[in-house]
Amino acid sequence: MKILMPYFKRYHVDVSIALLSVLVLVFATLWQPRLLQVVMTAIIKNDQQTVLREGILLLGLAVLGIAGGVINTIYSARVALGVATDLRADMYAKIQSFAYADVETFSASNLVVRMTNDINQVQQIVMAAFQQITRVPLLFIGALILAIVTMPEQWWVILVMMLVILLASWVAVRRMTTYFAETQQDIENVNTVTRENLMGIRVVKSFVQETNEISKFSQASDQLTAVTAKIGYWFSILMPIFFLTANLAVGVAVYLVGQNITAHPAYLAAITSFVAYLMQILYAVINGGFLMTFASRAFISIGRISEVLVTQPSMTYVASEDETPLTGEITFDHVTFTYPGDTQPTLRDISFKTTAGAMLGIVGATGSGKTTLAQLIARLYDPDSGHIMIGGVDVRQIPEKRLRATVAYVLQRSTLFSGTIAGNLKQVRPDAQVSHMQWAANVAQASEFIERLPQTYDAPVEERSQNFSGGQKQRLAITRGIIANPEILILDDATSALDARSEKLVQEAMDRDLKSTTTVVIAEKIASIIRADQILVLDAGRISGSGTHQQLLQSNPIYQAIYQTQKAREEAVK
Amino acid sequence: MSDLRNAGKYYWHYLKKYWRGFILSAVLIGISTWCIVVAPTYLGRAVEALTTYLDQWLNPATRAQASLGTFNHTLVIYVLLYVGDAATIFMAGLILARVTAHSTGTMRVGLFRKMQRMRVKYFDTHSDGDILARFTSDLDNIFNAMNQALMEVLLAVAQFVGILIVMFNQNVTMAWVTMASTPVALIIAALVMRKAGTAVNQQQDDIGQLNGYINEQITGQKVLITNGLQQDSKRGFDKYNQRVRQSALTGQIWSGILNPLMQGMSLLNTAIVIFFGSWLALNGSLSKGAALALVVVFVNYAQQYYQPIMSLTSLYSMIQLAITGARRIDEVRDQPDEVNPVDGGRPDGIQRELKIDDVHFSYLPGKEILHGITINVQRGEMVALVGPTGSGKTTVMNLLNRFYDVDSGQITFDGVDIRTFDLKALRQNVGIVLQEPQLFTGTIADNIRYGQPEASMDRVIAAAKQANIHDFIESLPEKYATQVSDEQSIFSAGQKQLMSIARTILTNPRLLILDEATSNVDTVTEAKIQAAMDNVIQGRTSFVIAHRLKTILNADKIVVLKDGAIIEQGSHEALLAENGFYAELYRNQMVFD
Repeated sequence: MKILMPYFKRYHVDVSIALLSVLVLVFATLWQPRLLQVVMTAIIKNDQQTVLREGILLLGLAVLGIAGGVINTIYSARVALGVATDLRADMYAKIQSFAYADVETFSASNLVVRMTNDINQVQQIVMAAFQQITRVPLLFIGALILAIVTMPEQWWVILVMMLVILLASWVAVRRMTTYFAETQQDIENVNTVTRENLMGIRVVKSFVQETNEISKFSQASDQLTAVTAKIGYWFSILMPIFFLTANLAVGVAVYLVGQNITAHPAYLAAITSFVAYLMQILYAVINGGFLMTFASRAFISIGRISEVLVTQPSMTYVASEDETPLTGEITFDHVTFTYPGDTQPTLRDISFKTTAGAMLGIVGATGSGKTTLAQLIARLYDPDSGHIMIGGVDVRQIPEKRLRATVAYVLQRSTLFSGTIAGNLKQVRPDAQVSHMQWAANVAQASEFIERLPQTYDAPVEERSQNFSGGQKQRLAITRGIIANPEILILDDATSALDARSEKLVQEAMDRDLKSTTTVVIAEKIASIIRADQILVLDAGRISGSGTHQQLLQSNPIYQAIYQTQKAREEAVK
Repeated sequence: MSDLRNAGKYYWHYLKKYWRGFILSAVLIGISTWCIVVAPTYLGRAVEALTTYLDQWLNPATRAQASLGTFNHTLVIYVLLYVGDAATIFMAGLILARVTAHSTGTMRVGLFRKMQRMRVKYFDTHSDGDILARFTSDLDNIFNAMNQALMEVLLAVAQFVGILIVMFNQNVTMAWVTMASTPVALIIAALVMRKAGTAVNQQQDDIGQLNGYINEQITGQKVLITNGLQQDSKRGFDKYNQRVRQSALTGQIWSGILNPLMQGMSLLNTAIVIFFGSWLALNGSLSKGAALALVVVFVNYAQQYYQPIMSLTSLYSMIQLAITGARRIDEVRDQPDEVNPVDGGRPDGIQRELKIDDVHFSYLPGKEILHGITINVQRGEMVALVGPTGSGKTTVMNLLNRFYDVDSGQITFDGVDIRTFDLKALRQNVGIVLQEPQLFTGTIADNIRYGQPEASMDRVIAAAKQANIHDFIESLPEKYATQVSDEQSIFSAGQKQLMSIARTILTNPRLLILDEATSNVDTVTEAKIQAAMDNVIQGRTSFVIAHRLKTILNADKIVVLKDGAIIEQGSHEALLAENGFYAELYRNQMVFD
């Protein structure tokens, strides 16, 4: 809750108006029975004047109540939206300052949930706080005081009523809490079976398991049904008990008034207002219960949001706006790296060096650490020990903008963002002209399909780039990677969806147009890196061999094995 | 409007068998309403009796006759009425809770049963998330509405009618006074709800766009970081965020204002009733006691009068959601089932030959994928399907066990069209090894015996051994009893394919379709997959959908598909000699220059 305070301060005017209007609303609600009592007394006394005066006052009070309610809603909404918007903006800014490791620790989908659902919860609770939460206790206390003032002798009736209601709620809530926990589990079971059947519908059908799956599902569903019914039964008893208790209290109170009416004749006029206050106490208690469950959910959300806001980025950059690129020389000096949360290092004691403009190939089995190595060049993570240098400078000493201007990283699944092709390219190179785009697209072998699109470079890109095929996506991603003419270009399995011919054309164009660029190519296919100046063979996080294709073919058994699985059976077709 | 009709049809289908419960709870609610609306009159009578008593008592002449008897008697009835109200509401609540839980349970199972009967096409054309949402949020919305709205709507309607009747019984003038503000309230409610409707729609659209942006950007955070685009992304975000702020403010105000307005109307109405009531008491022909009682009673009604309208307006969005939910689930119920011939034949494997005979097929009308495919396969032969992405390889698999049916032409087992076979019997003859097999929550053993849940442990182990996955399973601490689910990744992509092979080996199908994994696997696993494939293909008529040519060099027949047509057919050697498309493909994949 503390985390919200600065935001409330920012909207202190709106907050004050919202709170003031709640007071007005509460006053109007609570004072009405009071006025009613005066009117009743006046009727008994046949006092026309008072009846008229108080009657007009009653109408005025009602209008005041409406005004209070409307103003309260408007200003509560202003506070809620202001707080939610600012909170969301701060959270987003925070996430954008995160190192990649921080994003992974939370997981992207989890962060998205926090940015959407949790913020939404907070918005709703803030709205409710200014509309309801301040009103309920005020109404409760006000009604309680006024009830006692109206008939001081009857304080114990009110007390007994509240005790019975609280006792009933306590018993029911305790039972229902266990049932709610059960429901969660049952819902999860039902969803798991559903999801598995959806994703595996072909498996279910081809193994003819429909009947078994239905009985599995029915079992899970029936459990859920049984628990839901039980919760429903408890709810069914709760409300009638509340109202019965309140009405019994009214009966007892009125009875006692009747027995002592000769001593307190004025109470005759007070009966109606006393009943009204009792009912308001009851409503306040019921609403309070609902709000409490609502608030407890919001508190969880607030906790989850503040977790993000208090996280310090695990990686910082040297403060500088320097954007001049470094040269493309890459040096790894005894680099060891462990992923956060892992016990075993993914890379062990990696050392190598490439000259600017060279082509470096990296091969190895799945899980051997190829992508990890590339990510360290782009400083998505920092190593546990050892040094990584670009252009002779330790990456930890390179200002962020300078690093990004030097290194371009193309991922296997590096989709473009929704918008247009040109928009995506301009993100990386704001001054990009069509000629620059054409050049980059030519190198990436993307121009042939881009230029066939009706809007060419202004063609829309849908979410997840789903309006392009796998090969087209990769070629677009490469175009984006090279448009700023980087000193270092990392292609992380970035040509896996290209056929052999296109891949070769991309490489030839890069040789021609990006002569001074160091290219780091990670590949499953030996054909992709066969022409590299230097190939690293990774095995379980270590460099098992390094050299050209011919050298490795002679000396490195792992490389030979990979080559064998990809080589033709007939030497003849060569 | 058609939404409403479909929703009505849906609810009718699932709720009609609970008609007794509904009638009983309606009766109970009627009784309870009667208690509630009648009770205030007894409070009024009690006040009246008390006034008379006080007057008599204060007058020394009548003091001796003064008695609290009527007062006490009336009060007892007042309390008893509320006991009756509580008892009937409780019983109605029990019945409706039971109906709600069981009917939504039936809806859930009904939807799942339907899912099992539907054609694969539905699943291919709808995202899993969308279908899952029908099980979760749509059914939830229906449940919430039934759980809360059902009772409240019944109560609100009954109360409204009840209050009207009793009010007019009590005093016609005062009844009209109480109702006087209704048109104003209804007009206000209608206007506000219409405004709120459009404002909330706009708000939801903008929130949807904002969430879409957040999702896309954060999921692509690696791209943002590696390109140094964080500031860019923040700027884009601010635009969406501010737009949401504006439209959500309007949405929240309009949807939030209805309740205070209605509460205010109720206050106003009470004031009006007090005003007129007291005027009537002072200037009317009623006795003072009766007039006082009238005011007491009608203040009570004035406060209750707006309750039903308020609960109906607050339930409006909930009911709206339930109607949409029912419409969406009903959509699924209207989907066609798989076609299963009555008294279909039961094939006994393939005795002589399988024939794909001039098959044309399209997923979408007008966009033909296969243009007249003909393949003959002799018993025990292995056929490999080769071709670029989108050539139609996987489609052939979809046709062989009737995930889809051909547009024209036919597929025959020993000359009998497979569409004449009983669907389940056909599928029991056809085994499919999928590249990404779905694992189901349960043990590894359960997953291997998925096709034959009653299979013995010996057969499970034998299948795992043949599939080359036994050693790996034995290396796990709990071996075959290891719990797996689709989310946790005990298995690598390659090992998943081995599990898929084991599963298929255990059911011992006569015809085998093997969809080779495209995902990259390391060399050791690849060798294991190759060996396991050889094991499973042994002695079976089989189709292999190949992505790596290496695996199919020994096929009896290689069929090369391109753009939905067969362009080459023959053995590996023959096709190489032909020096056509296949030879080019082979050289590209397997030869280094």
